[in-house]
Amino acid sequence: MVHPPNERGQLNLPYELDKRKRIILGELKERTLWFIRLRWLVPFGIVLGTLLARWIGVGVKASPLLWAAGFILAYNFVFFLLSRRVKAEPSEKEYIERFTYWQVGFDYGTMFLLIHFTGGIASPFIFFFIFHITFSAIFLPRRSTYGFAAIAAAGMGLIALAEYMGWIHHHVISFQGRGIDLSQEPFHMMVILSFFAGFVFITGLSITAVMRMLEKRILDLAELTETVTALNERLNTLHTMTQAIVSKQHLEQMLRIATSELAKAMDVQAISVKLLTPDGKFLRFAAAHGLPPDLMDRVIELEKSPLNRRVIEGEPFVTGRVTQRQWFQFGEDLSAARLQSVQFVPLIVEGRVIGILGAYSTRPEQFGSDELVFFRQAAGLVAIAIENARAYEAIENLIQERSHFMNRVAHNLRAPLAAMTSVLEVIRDGYLGDLNETVRNYMNRLDRRVEGMLLMINELMTLAKSQSKHPEMECGPLNLETIAGRIKKNFQEEVAKKRLTFELTIPKDLPEIRGDPDMIEQMFENLISNAIKYTPEGGRVGMTFWPGPDQTVRMVFSDNGIGIPKSEMPRLFTEFFRASNVQDAIGTGLGLTIVKEIVDKHSGRINVESEEGLGTTFIINLPAAQRRMV
Amino acid sequence: MATKGEILLVDDDPDLRDSLQIILEKKGYSVRTAANGREALEALEVRKPDLMILDIMMTTETEGFDLAYELKNKPETKDLPIILLTSFLERVREEGPDKFQYITGEAWPAKWLFEKPVDTKRLIAKIEGILAGG
Repeated sequence: MVHPPNERGQLNLPYELDKRKRIILGELKERTLWFIRLRWLVPFGIVLGTLLARWIGVGVKASPLLWAAGFILAYNFVFFLLSRRVKAEPSEKEYIERFTYWQVGFDYGTMFLLIHFTGGIASPFIFFFIFHITFSAIFLPRRSTYGFAAIAAAGMGLIALAEYMGWIHHHVISFQGRGIDLSQEPFHMMVILSFFAGFVFITGLSITAVMRMLEKRILDLAELTETVTALNERLNTLHTMTQAIVSKQHLEQMLRIATSELAKAMDVQAISVKLLTPDGKFLRFAAAHGLPPDLMDRVIELEKSPLNRRVIEGEPFVTGRVTQRQWFQFGEDLSAARLQSVQFVPLIVEGRVIGILGAYSTRPEQFGSDELVFFRQAAGLVAIAIENARAYEAIENLIQERSHFMNRVAHNLRAPLAAMTSVLEVIRDGYLGDLNETVRNYMNRLDRRVEGMLLMINELMTLAKSQSKHPEMECGPLNLETIAGRIKKNFQEEVAKKRLTFELTIPKDLPEIRGDPDMIEQMFENLISNAIKYTPEGGRVGMTFWPGPDQTVRMVFSDNGIGIPKSEMPRLFTEFFRASNVQDAIGTGLGLTIVKEIVDKHSGRINVESEEGLGTTFIINLPAAQRRMV
Repeated sequence: MATKGEILLVDDDPDLRDSLQIILEKKGYSVRTAANGREALEALEVRKPDLMILDIMMTTETEGFDLAYELKNKPETKDLPIILLTSFLERVREEGPDKFQYITGEAWPAKWLFEKPVDTKRLIAKIEGILAGG
């Protein structure tokens, strides 16, 4: 869970303190373990140092030193075993501190022994206290540092006193027969003792001072890291929202994604979108992520809601305690859902307020001023998205209406034409009496034009059907070989009449496609009928299928006919397009529009290559049906 | 002269009705006509024909459909063969192939349904087939 930093820091105070503790504790744990690892070196150092001293002729009693080394090895092993428990569990601060105190305690005891056996106050080991002072200054509470400094100074004083008074034996380190016996020099002893005491305290003091600065830096850095993480998460939210706005054109779907993403990024209970009704008097919920579902049906009358009116007028509303009941029309519902903080901002597009974006949290005083800045940005995006979705829906409705209109027109044109055809037939076929050659010729002309008109109307109806919003597409896996075979058979007669070569290439392992069988057949029919129509006698027409790239099936329809003039290619798929080099009157200019419509409906792509006088090739890629594992 | 059979032609479009009547009569059938469902029922009262040709869409979009359905439910007209005409095949499909199947006794797409403009050669072949089959 991310708790974004808040400008009014004290609001998240318990959390902030806890965070600091966690960081320090983690460090302490890490360093305690490190200290144990470091201690492994000490016994070997002592043994090595003793041997070296003896070798160069220093007079020192070796056995107590070696015993001390053994003792260190032993208690470090115990600490090592204990440390594995510390490492594994999320331990309490007190436990780790106690663990550290025990280590330092044992170290001190051993140190005093070593010092006693290597010359008391004159021992070179006294410098090693610096390690413990430094360590505790860095990781333990400040008091501990001064405590350890005091123990070191007092312990040294006690050893010096005991040796001076003769309570304990004084071991003198000697070299080439000469030893320094400071126990007989009280003044020197006092000087060294007081300087030693000064040294440990000053070390402790200066390191704790530096640490205080460093600690603040570490915390600042940790805090910054969390801020950056939180900001990054918000950026991601904005990105996801943008993505949804671009890819989901439907209002409801888009708002669902936007509100749930926002709730996640802001770590709040609920996000709502309320939209103004066209008359501007009411607000209706368009989306409510995380709110009780029955709230969705509530209609807010602006007249009765001073809060919403204020937001609609452009002023954001933020409260940390939903106790100011006079503001809330449905205050009971909010408290029933245990929501305590709310934040409302207007949804503004091109200077117009279209609704309200709201955030609800179960924590009191959740929303600070940087929340508001982010929330306003989000509201900007949501507002644009709503406008987009509305525009998209308006366009969709227009297209729908157009298709509907086209269908009605086509159908109403069809009935009189059908009657005309029947009347024509009665005359043309001589049911009313014989016709002379000229009349029959003209009747045939009339017949042909009527037929062309009927064809055009049929294609308009097909087009209207494929453009409509919910065409009755029956999408199933299609066997292209069957359809292609049928097309070839249907056009057999025409192909023979023009003495064309019809080549059909279809590999045995061609994947199936998913689609509406009627539409796909219509598409093939239109393309092949064009190819045959615009290819001179003796020419070649081809229909080739290949497995295409990226799970598609590639279909190539080619001819060596008259081709399409370059300048007219861009208009190829527009309604009623007819190439200028086409002389034959039969044809509606709707065939390719229908083809394009069908390709689009099947999420495919169509490309054309054509050279005037050489021929035309249509290349269509349709997605292959997913093979089902049985 | 004896006709090949009597046909009741029901269609609200007078041009189409008259043209079809001329053609069918030339082919040797006697033809009576009606312009709507009510007239058709009256004509049926007078005498039951051998075959009925019925436009699905007349005054209302399903007038013909409803009439055919009704006739199929009456014992005296249950076995009257009915050929359906339409200028809007899609509409029939939407109306429901089930209903259609009930009327013509065959599954969609049916040979008992003719789209306007009517292919008269096919229509006459169909009529001959029906009447020959009894």
